[in-house]
Amino acid sequence: MRKYQDRVYNFCRYMLQNPEDAQDAAQDVFMKAYRGSKDFRPDSSTYTWIYRIAVTTCLDYKRKSRRERFRREPLPEDLPSDEPYPDQLYESKESTEAVQVAFQNLPEKLRAAIVLREMEGLSYEEIARVLHTSMGTVKSRISRAREQLRHLLKKMKAG
Amino acid sequence: MEQNRLSERLIRQREENMKCRHAKKLISWYVDDELSPDEKKDFDFHIQECATCREELEETQALLRIFASAERFSAPFGFTTRVLGNLGEKEGSPLRGLLAVKPFFLRSAQVAFALVVITIGIISGNLLLAERTDTIGQAAVVQAVFSLDLFQATPPDSIGGIYSTLMRPSHES
Repeated sequence: MRKYQDRVYNFCRYMLQNPEDAQDAAQDVFMKAYRGSKDFRPDSSTYTWIYRIAVTTCLDYKRKSRRERFRREPLPEDLPSDEPYPDQLYESKESTEAVQVAFQNLPEKLRAAIVLREMEGLSYEEIARVLHTSMGTVKSRISRAREQLRHLLKKMKAG
Repeated sequence: MEQNRLSERLIRQREENMKCRHAKKLISWYVDDELSPDEKKDFDFHIQECATCREELEETQALLRIFASAERFSAPFGFTTRVLGNLGEKEGSPLRGLLAVKPFFLRSAQVAFALVVITIGIISGNLLLAERTDTIGQAAVVQAVFSLDLFQATPPDSIGGIYSTLMRPSHES
């Protein structure tokens, strides 16, 4: 379990944003994995299987959680078109916060795909296996997520 | 003549737009190195020509740098212990766990084993009790032999015996 716990926790943290929910969700993931270990199929890797549980757990958590402290951050409506892109302006801590807030503003399916890709470093193929979908769908989701995040971060920095 | 030139310009503009629209779709795959060599060549050519698409590509690359610089979280201290603790609580006692997940034949075997243990317990309990009863009987005999009742404090032929006979309630009446 120690082998997977950091990656699962990191995934939950970016999916759910606040540490308490992330910890509860990560614990649920391992409880479900323990109980469902008889359903594990050797054709999929353990990571794929664990991430699959983590995705469904986080999405359920997000829907049910009443303790969500960081709701969708209000974003400024108007953005000057010549605003410079906030590249080097972000320090690590700022990056973390900005990315977390931006992720919360994405639709669920796009969020799961982009967190798996950018924060967990999974390949398109691995993401397709985790999300039970095609490579084409994964490529499309990641592309759309990046597009939306690009605009969101731009707005956040401008605001 | 003028109208032809205008429509030609419109067509060219549309073609340009189409290229940009297509290029924008490819940006994400380009940064992930997922384009075929031909697609990559076309994309590189377009990026050199089109400032708008080039800017979007740079922004996407910057976005990836932000992701890369964001923190990777580790599970909090004691996470494993808490999970194992929760598992223990939710699953109940180990005996319940043993009975809960086994197939029917194994559960039947467990019940049969439990019955055998109980029967052996009852039989051995009875045997032990019987042995104990014997011991109690022997103890009663020994106690009777060495009882103080054998020794009379006032034998009838002694002064004390005569006195106590005289003092009995029947004589008083």
